[in-house]
Amino acid sequence: MLLQADLKWLDDPQTYRVNQLPAHSDHHYYRTVAEMQAQQSSFVQSLDGTWQFAFAPTPQERPVGFEQPDADHQNFGDIQVPGHIELAGYGQLHYTNTLYPWEGKLYRRPAYTLGDTTGMPGMFSAGPDNTVGAYLKTFTLSPKLRDHRVVIQFDGVEEAMYLWLNGHFVGYAEDSFSQSEFDLTPYLQTGENLLAVEVFKRSTAAFLEDQDFFRFSGIFRSVRLVAQPTVHVNDLTIRANVLDDLTTGDFNLTLALNDDAGQSGAQIKTILHAADRVLLNQTVPAQAEVTIQHVPVPNVHLWDHHDPYLYQLQVEVLDAEGHLLEVVPYDVGFRRIELKDKVMCLNGHRLILNGVNRHEWDAKRGRSVTVADMQYDLQVFKQHHINAVRTCHYPDQIDWYYLCDRNGIYMMAENNLETHGTWQKMGAVEPSDNVPGSLPQWRGAVVDRARSNYQAFKNHPAVLFWSLGNESYAGDDIAAMDRYYHEHDETRLTHYEGVCRNRAYEDQISDMESMMYDPPKVIREYLDNDPQKPFVNCEYMHDMGNSLGGMNSYTDLIDQYPMYQGGFIWDYIDQALLINDEVTGQPVLRYGGDFDDRHSDYEFSGDGLLFADRTPKPALQEVSYYYGKYDR
Amino acid sequence: MANTTAKLHVVYGDGTLGLHGEGFQYIFSYERGGLESLKRDGKEWLYRVPKPTFWRATTDNDRGNRFSEKSAMWLGADLFSPCTDIEVAVNGQVITLPIAPENNRYSDHETADKVTIRFTYTTTTVPATTMTVSYTVDATGEIRVQAHFNGQAGLPELPALGIRFSMPTAAQGFTYRGLSGETYPDRMAGGQPGDYQVTGLPVTPYMVPQECGMHMATERATVTRAITLNNADPDTEPFSLTFKQAGTPFNFSCLPYTAEELENATHIEELPLLRRTVFTVFGAVRGVGGIDSWGADVEAKYHLPADRDYDFEFVIAGTQD
Repeated sequence: MLLQADLKWLDDPQTYRVNQLPAHSDHHYYRTVAEMQAQQSSFVQSLDGTWQFAFAPTPQERPVGFEQPDADHQNFGDIQVPGHIELAGYGQLHYTNTLYPWEGKLYRRPAYTLGDTTGMPGMFSAGPDNTVGAYLKTFTLSPKLRDHRVVIQFDGVEEAMYLWLNGHFVGYAEDSFSQSEFDLTPYLQTGENLLAVEVFKRSTAAFLEDQDFFRFSGIFRSVRLVAQPTVHVNDLTIRANVLDDLTTGDFNLTLALNDDAGQSGAQIKTILHAADRVLLNQTVPAQAEVTIQHVPVPNVHLWDHHDPYLYQLQVEVLDAEGHLLEVVPYDVGFRRIELKDKVMCLNGHRLILNGVNRHEWDAKRGRSVTVADMQYDLQVFKQHHINAVRTCHYPDQIDWYYLCDRNGIYMMAENNLETHGTWQKMGAVEPSDNVPGSLPQWRGAVVDRARSNYQAFKNHPAVLFWSLGNESYAGDDIAAMDRYYHEHDETRLTHYEGVCRNRAYEDQISDMESMMYDPPKVIREYLDNDPQKPFVNCEYMHDMGNSLGGMNSYTDLIDQYPMYQGGFIWDYIDQALLINDEVTGQPVLRYGGDFDDRHSDYEFSGDGLLFADRTPKPALQEVSYYYGKYDR
Repeated sequence: MANTTAKLHVVYGDGTLGLHGEGFQYIFSYERGGLESLKRDGKEWLYRVPKPTFWRATTDNDRGNRFSEKSAMWLGADLFSPCTDIEVAVNGQVITLPIAPENNRYSDHETADKVTIRFTYTTTTVPATTMTVSYTVDATGEIRVQAHFNGQAGLPELPALGIRFSMPTAAQGFTYRGLSGETYPDRMAGGQPGDYQVTGLPVTPYMVPQECGMHMATERATVTRAITLNNADPDTEPFSLTFKQAGTPFNFSCLPYTAEELENATHIEELPLLRRTVFTVFGAVRGVGGIDSWGADVEAKYHLPADRDYDFEFVIAGTQD
């Protein structure tokens, strides 16, 4: 055993991934074209469903050694994956906004702030509020996955996880909302395998994940095993550009295969086609990296909100005998987002964002949303002229990005970061213990979050903007995130509102001036005084309770200022939980403070255009009217 | 039309003024300070006398910008403002208030073309002001309600201004000609004009119960009930009452609860069992705002300053309508 799990990683902001595979594009791949058409890959084995589970209120009380196949698992109960531990009856539900969930219970300052040099050992590994979920899943590899390299993908685990297979330590991950992937191949055995996951509610990631939401833990998104053929496309980078004439597409593709792909004799066949015509059909020998550059697409059919036209890319990996090893499909949208005269333009036209902020929410399942939830949401978007979404304040489930591609929804793709509890105190800007700030010890973790977001979603035409996170103040570390996005992607713009709290960084952070909740008058003042960046409301029209009055005072700005480009209403759906009333037994919607949870921000999570059960609020007809008016 | 020549029958009682005609019987109470009984075809429409209303259940935005703290005295005024003066006019002539012994000179056969009774309410604010509510009834049974609020310097802004009717049982629903959905002066652009039917008495399920259910710019609204509190009335056939605009459209809400009942609940399931209909005609409506929920006020033009007068009127349709 080369590596042992170490509880100290929970305390160390510099340890945020151990043995995790590098982030890569979120493509699917299939063994045959028929599988691809049915969207059922025989390379995939889902591990969703019932897992064994044991809960511990603190790290010290956790079942040490439970990952060993010969350990006593008699005390384990059941839990459904995906799902939140707190909604499965273990651990207290808790909603808080800015103040950290340990407010008034524990005194914590982030490691390396305020001159600390100790790293504050034990803060989370011995944290009395750090609940632990011990998960076990036995599986037998399905025949189609045998004799392959097999990796495991966790789409979302909150907030730190350790992984073992058959008693061998595999790896460690943070970042609750990005996929974590590990190679299981060395430890797989024939017959039954025992997978063990130890999930901690808190780690240094807790400082970075202070979003205004219920504080859950657990494996809340899907888990799957994925087999890879001997030659495999690990990553693809599509650049579907549009030339200055706005009528010619410029297609570029970079494939990353396994390092030894060049010795395999395999071939890579790349086809790009639209419904009626083939634009590219090219076969080249496999290499570790395969690039295709500047394939012109004359009279290109552009992608936008009203006409989300997609071309189909199909990459086939053929072995030396010409047999198909895998086929990778990806929808390609040609569109061009750029700044022209300080105005954001899509395909040459000024962009108007009729947007919403959307937390992933389901009144029964919390943030473990379903595809049905997503499809419902897209219907609401369509009916009410909502053309844009900000994934506040973390990456969403992968399916959502594909659905936005197909439905023409402009995405502000935000990575997982919010630290307002380290600088917004009692209504004042007080950043003395802010993270990530300019602290080198925190930089790696936040740039990794940017990387995970970029690498996974870089091929989605729907993504027009990369957002560096929410309300985390500004310093060298967030500047490094902005730099990461720009260095890797010349085709999109970056967004970050928090730089307006520390304008020393405004040349390094965010391509747009983004504010939240400024009254229209203040926005006018900005736009009347030699503005340097186009203006976007990353959050506006706070729709808490009976609200959303006076929307015309914002939409009027669209007509008056070319550099005013709309915004994202806060927010799409109330966060409340459907619980059986302790008095009547009837299902009722409950919010912060209803679970004896303190400190709480109570009803502050109820700001949606929809109630938590997805019925529309009356204000939605007003949104429909004004967004319809500017639905161009 | 048989009724065009009919006269309004007037009963000069010792504690009340009765106004009767074909299919209607109205009783105005001097003691209760308002319209105590509005009976149509044998069905009672009032549970308590209608009163001016000055409060709305605090919205999240009101709480955030501390509006309710600043305007708190209107909550007391909503609950407690007494009737301090009553005036009766018959055929346009003000008469000596016909209470005993003044009413000894009347008979059981008194009639009139129209009668107006005006109630003055003095608010329990500091400083105090008054609001008058006049009911003018003619032989068709039509009631024209005219309200006047006397502005008074030194009073905080009004959360709401209207007249609240408390009906004895919960309505089956209501119809109206106005705007779709729930509208406020700063959130009515999306309301589509039309005829709408609402089943039951829905309370918009905001997480924390608050002001809700407003319908701006309404031409008419009809409330339909099926049961009464009259133990001798087993009939369950639906029956209706219509409110109409008098010249300009009116604003209303039709809910099962008063603003105070909504104000006190932290969840919708804490609200009382559904028993009454609270139909309120609003002469002025404060906007809901929307910039943020922790300080931004409603835009200035949607405020209701209390140092100016407000007038509004509407009609409770006659029996021929």
